[in-house]
Amino acid sequence: MSIKSRSLFKSYGDLVAVNGIDLDIGSGKIFGFLGPNGAGKSTTIKLLTTLVPPSRGSIEILGIDAIKNPLDVRKRIGVVLQQPSYEPNLSVEKSLEKYGMMWDVDKKTRKQRTDELIDVFDLGEIRKKKNEDLSIGQRRRVQVAREFMHEMDLLFMDEPTVGLDPSARRNLLDYLKDKAKAGLTIFYTTHVLTEAEYLCDEIAVINKGKILAVDTPDQLKSTFGQEKTIKIHLANKYDDLIGLLLGISGCRIEFDTGTNIIIQSSKAEIVLSQVLSILIENNILIEDLSAMPTTLEEIFLRMVKDTNAPNN
Amino acid sequence: MHPTIRLVNRNLTISLNPGFVVWQVMFPIVYIFVAGFAYTTLIDSVKLGDVSLDYPAFIASGMIGFNIMNSTLVSGIIIWNDRRHGMFEQILVGPFKRSHYILSNVYTIAIVGLISATLITSIGFPLFFKSTHFNLLTIPFLIFASVVGSILFGSIASIISTRLRSSEGFNVIINTVFLFFAFVSTAFYPAQGTPEPLATGFYLNPLTYLVDIIRAGIFGTFNEFVMLEMIVLVSVAATLFVIAIKLLTKLDL
Repeated sequence: MSIKSRSLFKSYGDLVAVNGIDLDIGSGKIFGFLGPNGAGKSTTIKLLTTLVPPSRGSIEILGIDAIKNPLDVRKRIGVVLQQPSYEPNLSVEKSLEKYGMMWDVDKKTRKQRTDELIDVFDLGEIRKKKNEDLSIGQRRRVQVAREFMHEMDLLFMDEPTVGLDPSARRNLLDYLKDKAKAGLTIFYTTHVLTEAEYLCDEIAVINKGKILAVDTPDQLKSTFGQEKTIKIHLANKYDDLIGLLLGISGCRIEFDTGTNIIIQSSKAEIVLSQVLSILIENNILIEDLSAMPTTLEEIFLRMVKDTNAPNN
Repeated sequence: MHPTIRLVNRNLTISLNPGFVVWQVMFPIVYIFVAGFAYTTLIDSVKLGDVSLDYPAFIASGMIGFNIMNSTLVSGIIIWNDRRHGMFEQILVGPFKRSHYILSNVYTIAIVGLISATLITSIGFPLFFKSTHFNLLTIPFLIFASVVGSILFGSIASIISTRLRSSEGFNVIINTVFLFFAFVSTAFYPAQGTPEPLATGFYLNPLTYLVDIIRAGIFGTFNEFVMLEMIVLVSVAATLFVIAIKLLTKLDL
């Protein structure tokens, strides 16, 4: 087990940032940690990386008690924090090299890894540029690349793709997948749910300091996303369409601009056949029809909305 | 390699950039050679105990203390820069304890102070060569002044770094501190003959004590008053050092 926490709790005065989190994350997994702003994601990372001590609860990282032996934990993990971190007056190349030195990586390996990472993260053109002269996205790429200068068993990444362009983002995600295949465990927080869906073996959704659900992306969708969305675009506008479709039960129907119908139902196939029958009977022409599977984003938004409800 | 040494290596790399070195060398050289010789027309000689010094020798020896202060204030700002650029937290999630980080800054400041003192002593040496009174205490005095002065001014910069968040506030404070230390001291001019309030101001400034000790070492003017200045300097440096360490230990993440 790479990460194990029990009843993890952290408060700052009256503010409860993390409220009884239990985690069990196996080795070689990419674990996604999703939540809205202020949900407790970054605080959880700070607790797990020993940056701040918990108010109560236990943390075991790579089999080590992280509260009693934080340094032993830190020697075996890598951390890409949410906030930018860089040495402004060092060049990209030099900052990678120095970071390796700080981790006690020998000179030959440092040189080799610097060249490798400059290539992987497409930093060749800016390798001699100082960090202070880089764009936010370039700096972020350096910050992420830098973390691979040293050996580690577990990598924490707090929204690492913020500021990256789509190609750099995909490049990073694929690199992380390769690293996980080679045995690295990755704890990954993000707001970009398509990213989590693409990358993660397991996902936890957190809000208000509590974990709402933990499962594989597919299992989350099947558990929480039975409802499907069907969109029908009509060729023409029909004023009495609302009246015609009102009799169908077990679904929510929305009419948009008079030519678009959006149907949401957990029995989408049955509802769709009823809708189609009515449209055909009334000679209403359909221009386009699409059925969309539930996305992780919809599940996430629903979960967060439910927990934010006043009675919850 | 020990974690503290690795951090000192990193600190020196980020501190000793070309801009810093030019600033550290050029600034005192301009003072020593331009101001030193230009003011000779106004200040014929300066009385220091029983010794009478020409002004270039006086200012060159003052510049050693000035440069220790200048360089260690800059080095003490490492903490501020680390916080500002996210490296403070990044280092503390790395293979380091907070004590490694604190010690590395202390060592860096002391090393920069020593290098600075050596540099300016070498540059200024031809100017105070005639008046130099080498004795057994000269080198120990210079090392004592470099180390204690570095810790003192490095602690001040560290304290400011831990207390302030905004860049504007930090710049205002650090520049004010620098101006007071640099110009309300005996680094540039003697206390004798200055108006009473200014002379009092001089002796509220640790740089005055530092340059007095350095001059005592170089020109052999050691007396009871210098001894008292050494005690005051060590006490102030120790107090500020303890405060800086406490603030750094408690610094929120």
